[in-house]
Amino acid sequence: MAIHVPVLLIVILLGASYSVPLLDRYRKNLAFPLTIASLSAVFVFSLYLIFLVGRKGPFFYHLGGWPPPWGIELSVDFLAVYMLMVLSSIGLLVMIYGAKDLRHELKKEVLSWYYTLYLLLIGSMMGIALTNDLFNMFVFIEISAIASCGIISIKEDRRCLEASIKYLILSVLGSGCVLLAVAMIYMVTGNLNFVYIAAELPAALALYPFNILIALSLFIVGLGVKSALFPLHVWLPDAHSSAPSPSSAVLSGLVIKIYAFALIKLLFRVFPPQIYAAVPVLDIILFLSVLAVLVGSIFAMVQDDIKRMLAYSSIAQIGYVFMGIGLFGDRALSGGLLHIFNHAMMKSMLFMAAGLIIYATGIRRIKDLKGIGVRMPWTMGAFTVGALSMVGIPGTSGFISKWYLALGALDLGRPFYVAIILLSSLLNGIYYFPIVIDAFFGTKVEPRSEHRDVPALMLVPVLILAAGVVIFGFFPGPLLNLIEKAMTR
Amino acid sequence: MEIVLKLLNNYYYFVAMVLFVIGFHTMLTHSNLIKKIIGMNIMDTSIFLFFVAIGYVRGGRAPIIQEGAGYQYINPLPSALILTGIVVAVSVTAYALSLISKLYAHYGTVDADEIALIRAREER
Repeated sequence: MAIHVPVLLIVILLGASYSVPLLDRYRKNLAFPLTIASLSAVFVFSLYLIFLVGRKGPFFYHLGGWPPPWGIELSVDFLAVYMLMVLSSIGLLVMIYGAKDLRHELKKEVLSWYYTLYLLLIGSMMGIALTNDLFNMFVFIEISAIASCGIISIKEDRRCLEASIKYLILSVLGSGCVLLAVAMIYMVTGNLNFVYIAAELPAALALYPFNILIALSLFIVGLGVKSALFPLHVWLPDAHSSAPSPSSAVLSGLVIKIYAFALIKLLFRVFPPQIYAAVPVLDIILFLSVLAVLVGSIFAMVQDDIKRMLAYSSIAQIGYVFMGIGLFGDRALSGGLLHIFNHAMMKSMLFMAAGLIIYATGIRRIKDLKGIGVRMPWTMGAFTVGALSMVGIPGTSGFISKWYLALGALDLGRPFYVAIILLSSLLNGIYYFPIVIDAFFGTKVEPRSEHRDVPALMLVPVLILAAGVVIFGFFPGPLLNLIEKAMTR
Repeated sequence: MEIVLKLLNNYYYFVAMVLFVIGFHTMLTHSNLIKKIIGMNIMDTSIFLFFVAIGYVRGGRAPIIQEGAGYQYINPLPSALILTGIVVAVSVTAYALSLISKLYAHYGTVDADEIALIRAREER
């Protein structure tokens, strides 16, 4: 039993996602408990996997008992369990928040379909984190592409539909690139397993350099489109701002990261390091990430819709993760990986806080948020913690990941990037702090508009995440420990 | 001259790449959403062609093993993978087309530029 836990993570979620609509036909009120139960089970299992890997070391799981090169292999190592922990914890909290919010934002008939799509999305992301097989990764990428478009378009208003078709088209473009890259790799190595490919590639590089270079660039473009690396980000603001709030939280918090994570896995585990000495792919990623952190923040400043501003801020924040990849040093990459978790916490919390404000008052425009802190102190308190962490004030988790990125840049003798990190932090401050200051100190005679009380069930996940941001800001030790082990394999 | 010979020998790869570029270009430049979806399908199909062509062995037979016959067989793995790929492409196409029909109901057009114009007018 214990040995099957890795595959159970995916099986539970996929199984639950298909049984939810069936169950919904007979017992209306069981769909949501089943969703929460399966997400909690997955959360417990991924904690167990961290424990197991910590005690016994990384191991491989062979699907159906077929060893590679024939069968599909799941690799349970520190990197994978770290990502599983991020996915399952944030996934569970967002769904708890969604319990009430979705009822408010969606039509009754489609509610159970939302759970299906959500579970499918989390399950496929777990698959991407675990898989050790290129084609299997492609299949999971496609599942998550459709599911993530689905949780946007399910709202069925005009903005969502337009945003999701834009997202779908670019997303399919990205997965097309990934599939072609898989074909190129298979052509020269005859394998789909990461370990086998990694063993073959150095020899193949001498014989067929063009195939491998094309594959590398296609992977970067394909996964870059999906994770909204700067010039390929055009779909993100519409998609993340028009979606229902739980979808925005999970899309911004998790979905764009998992593709960056897949790229990290490919670049560091599959492609031979000598390829980066020959072609400047890492420098290109670095250049784009610098543009992303600066331009994303500048775009965010001029937005007047709060969710749109948060979406542009995601473009800037994913830039840090790519900066960690591009710097290609151990400490810098630790910073990038740490930022995956920190940003997942911060951004899903900020989106949920914005969702709470919209739920309670219907206000979306930043200008109208004056004095909201008095009416909703808990929500805006959490928002403030998130904003501080985005800027990177010491004592919040955002500081730790930026600190590691900066140290990593200094290790490699590139102080220019430290300056970029500082500059972008200041830019973050420019658009986050006015909201916080206005919310608490701005006095505006509010025409007593519609005001709904915020249910405690919605507030609790936001507060848990806010507490998490502070706790991991003061005690990042366990996380750093895990990431350090992930770096050394 | 050498490169032309190489291309002729591997013309299926070449055709796949040409189709890929056609699909890619259609998908990105046409504003008609239906044409975008057609472009998407051309692109996907070109990748499938490319992938299946990798597994082909000249003079090979379908891989139904006959003991002792001494035939050469083609590599079945790419074909099997591409079956999955086709399923994925079909479902994406179906989803995209249903989205487009919903969009048409809301906006009365399937042209991405016109939809953007209508939205810009609404937001003003």
